[in-house]
Amino acid sequence: MAVSNSSSDKGTRNLVIGMVVFIVLIGVIFSFISNRSSTTAMVPASVSAEDGYGIVINPTATPTVDIYLDYQCVVCKNFEIINGGYINEIAAQNKAKVVFHTMSFLGAESVIAANAAACAADEGKFLEMNLALFQNQPTSHDSGMWAGDFMKRLGNSIGLNSATFEKCVAEGDYIDWTRNVAQASAAADVNSTPTVKINGKEIDRNTEYMDPVKFRAALAAGGVK
Amino acid sequence: MQNQSSKSIGSRVLNLLASNQPWLTLIGRLILGGVLLTAGALKVGKPQLSAMSVRAYELLPTDIANFFGYVLPWFEVALGLLLIIGAGVKVCAVLGGATMLIFIFGISQAWARGLNIDCGCFSAGGVVEPGETNYLSSIIRNIGLTVVAIYLYRFPKGRFGLDK
Repeated sequence: MAVSNSSSDKGTRNLVIGMVVFIVLIGVIFSFISNRSSTTAMVPASVSAEDGYGIVINPTATPTVDIYLDYQCVVCKNFEIINGGYINEIAAQNKAKVVFHTMSFLGAESVIAANAAACAADEGKFLEMNLALFQNQPTSHDSGMWAGDFMKRLGNSIGLNSATFEKCVAEGDYIDWTRNVAQASAAADVNSTPTVKINGKEIDRNTEYMDPVKFRAALAAGGVK
Repeated sequence: MQNQSSKSIGSRVLNLLASNQPWLTLIGRLILGGVLLTAGALKVGKPQLSAMSVRAYELLPTDIANFFGYVLPWFEVALGLLLIIGAGVKVCAVLGGATMLIFIFGISQAWARGLNIDCGCFSAGGVVEPGETNYLSSIIRNIGLTVVAIYLYRFPKGRFGLDK
């Protein structure tokens, strides 16, 4: 053999290092590409790019209440139980512009749920679907429950029976849009869910999220009458 | 007499460590590499969560924090794999040790500033409820791993490694 033992060892070692570095670089590139926002994504009618691709209710009302959530987030579910009724009241009575940012960092089923919520928004039933999703939150992330025709049946249970809705959840019309929401929320430096902002300023995480009285007071202080 | 006996025990321990150095290096590689590979693998599939963890330290501008959030899990996977295989151990030990020092700094400053965050070391991350932080145990773990990294830098050649 022309090559000595030790130099062929070195060649193997360098080859292995090269392969690991190569695979990891591919992985990094894949992560960036598969999560970047899409300029061609279909977006629900009530979504506004200026509002971080969130689903907007009462676009002309003031003040603006931004709610960032992930449908698989347990604290978000508790927040919905505590404050959801009041938020829905604000939305129904046009007391504020309410923007829902359906983030999806907790896994694939968060994406499926956000898509379904957007499909419901197109039918004017976002708030109902929002509640139904939290009421049917699986006990673990990506449990397999939010798959198949689950979102169609969940929609049916709250009166969403149109062919448009069923196609929207079955084909995942707004899957690409969920990445735009994620990117916009990341750019807005949202580091936790739920996050609630009034006119762009977050309310006090230590006291005002999980206490219905303090939550109302915080919104009132922000101009919600 | 007492002194001499303890000295001989001490030197016997040193001898034992020295004669088993290749095995200790292997164990060190598996510990540091195993932790890095696990930490990275738990995060590669959730880059948004990883980016959120980095943002929550409130150390870097948002864009740069998001960039590191995407890169860091893969970087950990690479270091972990190479350490376990035993290829380029010395360089990986330096990078792994430096990473641990940065983590220690990041966690300490978050603690000192009174932020309530999960370290985002393994999978979870971001802001958590007050009282759900575990800064001290994360710092102790990272100090231990830094010691392992220093040992691997000093003694990079061990059993079952590709480095010859």
